[in-house]
Amino acid sequence: MYYKFPSEYHAIDAHNHIWSADQQRMDQLLAAADALGIEKLCISVPIKDRVVAPEKFCQANDSIIEAMSYSSRFLGFCFVDAAANEAAVAEIDRCIIQYKMRGIKLYHQRKAQDPVQAPVMKRAAELGVPVLLHAGRFLDPDAMNREPYSSDAQDFLEALERYPETIFMQGHIGGGGDWQWNLRKLEKIQNDNYYIDLSGSVVDHNIIRQTVDAVGAERVLFATDMWFEEAIGKLQAARLSKKEEMMIVSGNFEKLMQRRKGLARNV
Amino acid sequence: MFDVNTSIGHWPFRQLENNTPETLKNYLLQYGITGAAVAHNHAACYMNVQDANWELFRAIEEEKSGFFRGIATLNPLYAAWEKDLRCCAEQLNFRALRLLPAYHNYQLSDAAATEIITAAGELGLLVVIPNEIVNYRQRHWMENGIPQGTDTLIDTARRFPQVNFLFTEANFPEKPSQPYPGNAYFEMSRFRNCFGRQLDNFIQLVGADHVLFGSGAPFKEIEPALIKLHHCRISEADRELIAQGNAQKWFDC
Repeated sequence: MYYKFPSEYHAIDAHNHIWSADQQRMDQLLAAADALGIEKLCISVPIKDRVVAPEKFCQANDSIIEAMSYSSRFLGFCFVDAAANEAAVAEIDRCIIQYKMRGIKLYHQRKAQDPVQAPVMKRAAELGVPVLLHAGRFLDPDAMNREPYSSDAQDFLEALERYPETIFMQGHIGGGGDWQWNLRKLEKIQNDNYYIDLSGSVVDHNIIRQTVDAVGAERVLFATDMWFEEAIGKLQAARLSKKEEMMIVSGNFEKLMQRRKGLARNV
Repeated sequence: MFDVNTSIGHWPFRQLENNTPETLKNYLLQYGITGAAVAHNHAACYMNVQDANWELFRAIEEEKSGFFRGIATLNPLYAAWEKDLRCCAEQLNFRALRLLPAYHNYQLSDAAATEIITAAGELGLLVVIPNEIVNYRQRHWMENGIPQGTDTLIDTARRFPQVNFLFTEANFPEKPSQPYPGNAYFEMSRFRNCFGRQLDNFIQLVGADHVLFGSGAPFKEIEPALIKLHHCRISEADRELIAQGNAQKWFDC
């Protein structure tokens, strides 16, 4: 086994966070990435409020802009609440077109297929950027009460039908909850607009092997969501081929980035 | 290398692989783990928990190589636990007692817990308490596996200074409001390290002699715990303590 990614993997963490442009936090993320051979980290600032006002998500994204200028290893994901409608779309344009962020991050304010998401999904499709959604099939009362609108695999399947031009990234298969339920729902999915990231603290035996078996290595993205050793460890435990590992660790994400269109492509 | 956090047997809510003595041993050996403390999963759900302890004893005996050291599990609310505890320590030669309050329906603050912890201490047994067995957010609807919480675990260690505790499957704060008691020992698989150096800071706080390597197999993958230990910024002597040396005191490994 290896304790950091070989340099030829050019590893990209597709799901990580900062809460502000706090230098200590950014340095900690970069130090962890250095230790484990991760070249780049996709970061966003998600906000847990039930409804997030535009000024609040714009401020959060300002922190990402600051982080991106602090280190070119940070790739920004623009956080919005779709309830803000035109303001959310304007913020996506600011972040993606003006500041070259790589994708959109949605939290658990509303489910993936919610019609309220339409303006955000439409703009994401026009720009060809992925939408990363917080996700989980939570079974404990605390999480169910706290996050009633977290999306599970069924929600993603419905969203893929409702928004057929939008690229979705289902967050953290290991983020807690019944991951096997999610994978049974996703078995043999063929949709090229569907991706899932392997992040989260859960390192149940075979979690990544079963994820790859269910959706195919071409739809899995390496990510940590701050659980670094868990991510690199459970990926190795899946005993995939080197080709599959390299697809997951960087190849799939790079292909995703090649799908950016128009003004988003000029990066 | 010695793993203090393994188990055998079926888990009623999820299929496990490598959950027999032979398969688990071979699996751990692939990672350079040459011995393990093991509890029996059936003990979480049997009403008469002692049956699971006998199952564990026979399984270890049949495996023959001496790879495993048994950890008893008992329910202090069940009949004859005192007799069973003595049997586990003296006849079955188990070195530790595991308590599962969330599965056996009591609190660590209850009188029943006081009695069994005191008795275990008098027999020189290490008391092992998992914060949880599986991640609470994925609990089966028949499962009452609410995490103990790190405050509860530490309070328990403080209440019984004459008893030694090993806490597993928990991520303890590196800046506690009070120093951790010296009779508390910690399994390290749930700590972060590369991000924020939490495990390094924790080792510095409690001492390398109070941290033990554990993987959580066969529930969990082994690689994450190995990577965390590998990246610890500690001396080789301290790494050896965590990997094996500290376990020798309890498990004669």
